[in-house]
Amino acid sequence: MGGTASSAAEAGIVSAARTRSARPGASGRWLDRHFIKFAVLPTTVLMLCIFGLPLLFSGFLSFQGWAPELGLFDGKFVGTANYEDLLTDPDFLGSIQLTLIYTAATVSAELICGLGIALLLNVDLPYIAIFRTLLIVPMMITPVVAAFCWKLLLDPDHGVINYWIGEHIVWLGKPGTALFAVALVNVWQNAPYVSILLLAGLRSLPHEPVEAARIDGASVWQMFWHITLPLLRPYILVALLLRTIFEFRAFDNIYVLTGGGPANATMTLSQFTYLASFVRFDLSLGAAASWLMLLMSMLLCLVFMSTVHRRDVS
Amino acid sequence: MAALNYVGSRRGKLLFAGSVYAALIALTMAFLFPLLWIIGLSLKTRLQVFANPPLFVWWPTWENYVAVFGRADFLQAFVNSLLVSCGAVSLSLLVGVPAAYAFARFPFFGRNFMFFGLLAMRMLPPIAVLVPMYVLFSKIGLTTTRTSVVLAYSTFSLPLVVWIMRGFFEDLPRELEESAWVDGASRYQTFFHVVLPLIRPGLVAASILCLQLAWNDFLFAAVLTNNATRTLPVLMAAFSGGDTGVDWGGMTASGVLVILPVIVFSFLAQRHLVAGLSSGAVKG
Repeated sequence: MGGTASSAAEAGIVSAARTRSARPGASGRWLDRHFIKFAVLPTTVLMLCIFGLPLLFSGFLSFQGWAPELGLFDGKFVGTANYEDLLTDPDFLGSIQLTLIYTAATVSAELICGLGIALLLNVDLPYIAIFRTLLIVPMMITPVVAAFCWKLLLDPDHGVINYWIGEHIVWLGKPGTALFAVALVNVWQNAPYVSILLLAGLRSLPHEPVEAARIDGASVWQMFWHITLPLLRPYILVALLLRTIFEFRAFDNIYVLTGGGPANATMTLSQFTYLASFVRFDLSLGAAASWLMLLMSMLLCLVFMSTVHRRDVS
Repeated sequence: MAALNYVGSRRGKLLFAGSVYAALIALTMAFLFPLLWIIGLSLKTRLQVFANPPLFVWWPTWENYVAVFGRADFLQAFVNSLLVSCGAVSLSLLVGVPAAYAFARFPFFGRNFMFFGLLAMRMLPPIAVLVPMYVLFSKIGLTTTRTSVVLAYSTFSLPLVVWIMRGFFEDLPRELEESAWVDGASRYQTFFHVVLPLIRPGLVAASILCLQLAWNDFLFAAVLTNNATRTLPVLMAAFSGGDTGVDWGGMTASGVLVILPVIVFSFLAQRHLVAGLSSGAVKG
């Protein structure tokens, strides 16, 4: 980062000097001098309109008692009542706990599967690329459709999975199996994501350590555990960070498979916020819940980034 | 690093290769089975769908696909999806590409601030933006329009475009631009006539990755559309929201049609997937 920034600064100065000497016409010169501002302005405006202002407004909304029929700023100030409601609501606290368990479980399963697939795809054999192409497919497809496929596979009466097991299991109708099924669908869809990231990592690792270990007579397992895995650690951390952030907000699959049920067994935070805001239309409460979600994911990001950064520095 | 290689006897080598292929074939079958089964269901008649035991060999029928193409709501949703996805990609490219160029080449006021803003847009849960967005859009009469969905989609497509394009701009040698400046071209002429033509592969990669995200999105579209403007994922969720019903053939056929474009995208964009996936976290 430092290197590119300083060389960019240098180039900026050099080119600015050239611009001043070579450009005819006062208006052309003025436009040219402000090129960077014009290049950056649209993005800044769009970011403010669709991200900055909405988030500020939602912070404001979360301290209001607001109803959809009121004007934008006609709500009554209620202090922290919305937050107090949430933090004393067993359903909300339950959904925080559930989201954390769900995130930890799916992310670790995705990392283990993804690492396994990446190691297999990294073997030097002909036609391996075909498998890579095919294994990418689940992560590319529409999550709603993926969930819907699995809903048919898991159907208690006509699903092919119950046919193979030979039992009549109502997968999505019981709390324990519903959570397992939802997690399974997510792992199925996102393990390839991890494997593609880690495969890129494996391909960029240096040769020599493995070669040296091989000459010294290390076993395959020793080479993997003591050399490949430590070298791969930065990539694993990145995959961990990204997957944690994306599983923390999981929504589409769960909405289609269970809608948060049965008995709140799959009520993740996104699902809870969605129901509060767009089914019960309590948008102040939804705003408060989404701000709590924001704070939690920012905290997650910070923890991970400081971990990654510390490793980079050392 | 070069890929893993087996060093040893010829016999051991063959055994190793055999077991790797076997494992990969088993994995691929496991990962693709759900999709293959759904494609199979979409090619069955209603009687065949519910046959017990399930049919593994049958004469395929196209009747479900013919029925889907005759459905007005499916065609409407298809058009909506197409308009909204292309709109989101165009908006993000138009706005984001110059910013990415500035990011890659020049220092400017607020550079770090913008960097963190884009990172936040990519990393924070979309529902947190959606709640206030819905309120604001409903007060200015934008909800249930396709425009609102296009705007909402830029929360994820804009950071993606800026990140991917920034990488491409950084890889471009500086000398070309500098010689254009020396020859008296303005910054604008240089950007449009020298830099953009060279960066075309990057534009294609960014568009494909954004199209895929926009096409797949459900949450924004579910909240911001009505029956006339809903996109394909919203329609699919409405099909399968409650009971799965009896029209499994029709539902699976529409599902296959929804994911067909993204599967094609995935083959096209393979080389750039890593850059897109990890945008912001590592340099792909």
